[in-house]
Amino acid sequence: MTIQIYGPEGAIAPDSAELAATPMELSGLRLVVLDNGKPNAALVMERLATYLGHRAGTELAFVAKKGPGSRSANAAIPCAPDVFDRVVAAADLVLTGTADCGSCTAYSVYDAVQLERTGLPCVVVTTTMFEAVARTMARDFGMPNLRILVLPHPLGGTAPDRLDAWAQAALDDLEALFSPVEGPRSIEDRAADGLR
Amino acid sequence: MEPVVAHELLNVEDDSPESVFALYEARGWGDGLPLVPPTPSRVDAMLAHANGDPDEPLVILQPRAGVVTRRVVAINCVLAGCAPEVFPVVLSAIRALAEPEVNLRGVNATTHPVATMVVVHGEAVTRCGFNAGAGAFGPGNRANATVGRAVRLILLHVAGAYPGTGDASTQGQPAKYSFCVAENLSASPWGSYAVSRGVDAASAVTVHCGEGPHNVHDMEALGDPKLILGKLASAMTSLGMNNAPISQGQYFVALGPEHAQSLADAGLTREDIASYLYEHARMPARVFRRHFEELAWDGWMKICDDDVSLPMTGHPDNIRTFVVGGPGKHSCVVPSWGMTRSATLPITG
Repeated sequence: MTIQIYGPEGAIAPDSAELAATPMELSGLRLVVLDNGKPNAALVMERLATYLGHRAGTELAFVAKKGPGSRSANAAIPCAPDVFDRVVAAADLVLTGTADCGSCTAYSVYDAVQLERTGLPCVVVTTTMFEAVARTMARDFGMPNLRILVLPHPLGGTAPDRLDAWAQAALDDLEALFSPVEGPRSIEDRAADGLR
Repeated sequence: MEPVVAHELLNVEDDSPESVFALYEARGWGDGLPLVPPTPSRVDAMLAHANGDPDEPLVILQPRAGVVTRRVVAINCVLAGCAPEVFPVVLSAIRALAEPEVNLRGVNATTHPVATMVVVHGEAVTRCGFNAGAGAFGPGNRANATVGRAVRLILLHVAGAYPGTGDASTQGQPAKYSFCVAENLSASPWGSYAVSRGVDAASAVTVHCGEGPHNVHDMEALGDPKLILGKLASAMTSLGMNNAPISQGQYFVALGPEHAQSLADAGLTREDIASYLYEHARMPARVFRRHFEELAWDGWMKICDDDVSLPMTGHPDNIRTFVVGGPGKHSCVVPSWGMTRSATLPITG
């Protein structure tokens, strides 16, 4: 006899928000790198910022560790409020990460969502092995079309010249994420990756 | 928050474990073990053990932003095989996990194998039939097994801690299936842990997010309680633990009754034990610095010279003791994930 049972998940209450408006022109915009202290995060994001500057005319304003006073970085908690305010005051664009573990992906995505809410376009740098986690978190945090740049894995323990090559190879994707034409792909477009 | 009324009801062929398991597995639900069908009547029986609106939003669990209601907790308690009387224990453990200092978003998402240890205190232990004695961390008791399992099912289903997406744990660990134990109050020389933390309720629950238990075996052959503490300190001193680079991380020291009594007979209080372990679980600053690029340390630790012997945690109060278990000369240490703090709440419906 057919019976009825409950599903186990219940409702969700994501704090949904729209992406910040994407600039029509990148030239002259100030880009800030928000570093969570993961191994090679600052290195690879600084290379990305530098190459984007060469190509599109953006200016790397500064690299800031996300801990209080930028004296340290802890990837497993949100960006310190003073650093967040400093980034918002100085940046036109933000590059943050790296989202190449679990809690650091959760909080890189969390920080990016908060920055987008202030009107700042923000790209999260993740790796192939943590893309699914990053996109799940983006959906969970109410911004499923968050700008996510995917690099090879792993970043920690990879030689600088190889990271440099990865940064150069990712430049088209990075430019597209900050572009109003290409934009980031939606979660639906990435459905084949096995996301729930 | 507005009341939540939408709860999905699904048709299933019959009440058999096979039918329910097949349906849940097809949806990606469950922990891999057989499930008790959460029929409305079973869920209502669970809800009868709590007060308040079943659909009142209570807390939000991250990362999924899942809304916790009494009903969704009750559904997962049924799935886990809980007896209805433990429902308020699970509900209170979930409220505790939603406390901001627990940092559940990070706990669930991390690659670390962190599991959520639930410790039950007070009269609920005997009333609900928890095992606080021999083998308390292990199998053989419905309350311990199913409360821990229900908490994990809620983390999966409501918090979204699905392996590979919402839970990035590299290897996972067995304690992620179920990790619940009860404090052995009658064997504790220092009274209730919950009361020592200022929660003076008839029953309470503590959650601590960390590793599985690390055993500490001291036979007391020499009759010197310092040797118990020495072995505990040794078990706490490891560069592989997140306590090493994160000074706010706590340790839970679960003392077996015999070790606890020996330490109490030597005149030691909970605070004395914490201070001793703080003083003896140490490594040179240079060793920590050699191993970690970033150290989430208290400021005073950061400015110490390389030769200074630094503690594995930033303050003695980060070392918490409670008594659990039966006869024998074993205790254990439960290290922390690091960027999380334990929480103790009264058990309420």
